[in-house]
Amino acid sequence: MEELVKKDNIKVGLEASDWKEAIKLAGEPLIASGDIKKQYIDDMIRSVEELGPYIVLTKGFALAHSAPCPAVIRSSVSLITLKEAVNFGSSNDPVNVVMCLACVDKVSHIETLQKIARVLMRKGSIERLAESKTVEELYQRINNAEEV
Amino acid sequence: MALPKIQCVCGFGCGSSLMLRMAIDDVLKKNGLEADTLVGDVGTCLSNPCDVIFISRDLAERIADRAEMPVVIIENFMDNAEIEEKVLAYLNEFNK
Repeated sequence: MEELVKKDNIKVGLEASDWKEAIKLAGEPLIASGDIKKQYIDDMIRSVEELGPYIVLTKGFALAHSAPCPAVIRSSVSLITLKEAVNFGSSNDPVNVVMCLACVDKVSHIETLQKIARVLMRKGSIERLAESKTVEELYQRINNAEEV
Repeated sequence: MALPKIQCVCGFGCGSSLMLRMAIDDVLKKNGLEADTLVGDVGTCLSNPCDVIFISRDLAERIADRAEMPVVIIENFMDNAEIEEKVLAYLNEFNK
């Protein structure tokens, strides 16, 4: 099994009052690991404010990210689930699974992102991620393409 | 005949547009079709030469009135059936 998302970057059942807090919570593991600076979280939130909720790619799932910038130290990915889903103002609301993507440039993360996309594109995969009760369960589901 | 050039666009050209390009490449392969696929960001995509832009609904309105090429809206970036239907429909038109 290839690790696409590190266990330290996975959280389940977090409580967010709105979409901004959801993005902030998704980014926190990456701040803790030193992969991003806090500025990147503000950038991700501003991106949605400026460009709209297009990051909600499918029912229940948001891919929070911003442009490559100096606030990204290392390309990295985190994944959280929310206890209560939040609305982004998207036709794919409500959202209870949020992934945070940070990339140092536009190409070096492509391979990892494509592997993650393969997992996400399986039918029912977002629901299965959302239903994960523990970090271990969510870790297995996002990283083990066979099982998901 | 030149291959159709399909540009997949998101906010920055490094997140969801990559996923969309991958899904479109899968559709092309599955159906034995050929096209050039590239990614772009919503700010600069109109200056990238291409035959069509595939983009999410939220971003489409930012370019729709200025785009000289067809703009295809994808509602669900993880829905292979929707992507396949729209890619095949576009290529049918292109090849007419």
